[in-house]
Amino acid sequence: MELLKSLSTSEIVAQIVSFLILLTFLRIFAWKKLLKMLDDRRERIASEFKKIDDAQSEVAKLKADYENKLSSIEAEARVKIQEAIAEGKKVSQEIREGARQEARAILDKAQENIELEISKAKQELKQKVIDLTLGTTEKLLREKITDDKDRRLASDFLEELGKVK
Amino acid sequence: MTEAHSSQPELPNLAGLLAEKLHGTPFGHYILLYENIIFSLVIVVFLSLVAYFASRKSSMIPGRLQLFMEIVVEGLDDFVCGILGPKGKRFTPFVGTLFIYILLMNLSGLIPFFKSATSSLSTTASLAVCVFIYVQYTAVKENGFFGYVDHLMGNPRGIIAFTVFIPVLLFFIHIISELVKPLSLALRLRSNVWAEDMLLAVTAQFGLGGVPLFLFNMFLTILSSVMQAVVFSLLSTVYFALVLPHHEE
Repeated sequence: MELLKSLSTSEIVAQIVSFLILLTFLRIFAWKKLLKMLDDRRERIASEFKKIDDAQSEVAKLKADYENKLSSIEAEARVKIQEAIAEGKKVSQEIREGARQEARAILDKAQENIELEISKAKQELKQKVIDLTLGTTEKLLREKITDDKDRRLASDFLEELGKVK
Repeated sequence: MTEAHSSQPELPNLAGLLAEKLHGTPFGHYILLYENIIFSLVIVVFLSLVAYFASRKSSMIPGRLQLFMEIVVEGLDDFVCGILGPKGKRFTPFVGTLFIYILLMNLSGLIPFFKSATSSLSTTASLAVCVFIYVQYTAVKENGFFGYVDHLMGNPRGIIAFTVFIPVLLFFIHIISELVKPLSLALRLRSNVWAEDMLLAVTAQFGLGGVPLFLFNMFLTILSSVMQAVVFSLLSTVYFALVLPHHEE
């Protein structure tokens, strides 16, 4: 009871007022602002994490798409390469065939030319033989033929004939 | 009259020394009379300044002071919401302010030439009255006046509802218990802090030989100061929890 007598109404009222002042001040400057700040930060962190998760799933999706595209491009490229190889083979075959035909044509033509030249040469040789024969015959008829002359004329004839060959 | 006039041993404080200097003058008389209020106001001003500077340039990337205040605020918010649930957030400012205010007043007795304002029954009684009024206001607001009376009569009553005597008896018992709550809050806090201060004052009289004991008592005082602040805040929170509707449970 002695303790309760020490209670002072004016002190109690003053202490209540000072506590209420402190409460009001802290409510405005500390609790309201800082709790709001903490909530905002919590929300922001949560939204940032969500954004990161979304971005990660988006990246994973893009990666899967990219890999799919890459594999389809690879398959397409493989097909195109096969087609190009086949085309190349075909072209080379054609070129080879063409070259072979051309070579054959050249050979045929050369053969023809050779045959033509041979027949021409034969013709010329024939003409020369005729001319020589006629010439020699003419000389024999004009001169008196001795055994030596006869031999010499025959030898000349044979030499000229050798030159013609 | 405050308890400062008592013949109990007490460490010297600024207000007491000033009052001694101005002995016999009205100013000296009032300083001695309201020394607890003076020390409380110093704490109020200090806390207000800290809160102001901590939140003045508050940003998403906090500075040291803001970070410290955020840790305190979040810790107290978790403490209150841990007992009352998410709806207890609106009581965080009240209980949190009580905790910080009481803790600093308790610890201020350790600062040379300061005094724990909570060693005065008037200071603790004023805080207990604030708790009592806020709890009763919350009870009436949440349950309605008749709902609260019904609650005091022991709702839910079950088979007791068919009797008149027991609900009326429970009503008066609850009224007494409600009135005793602030008294117990005030006496517990005041007595503990007063005993701590007295213990320090007594051991300080031992001279140099009593320094180890004084230091040990200082450690005990810090521990007890924190504990008493927690007990006062915890009980206040529990009182709120008791008057809030429990329909969802």
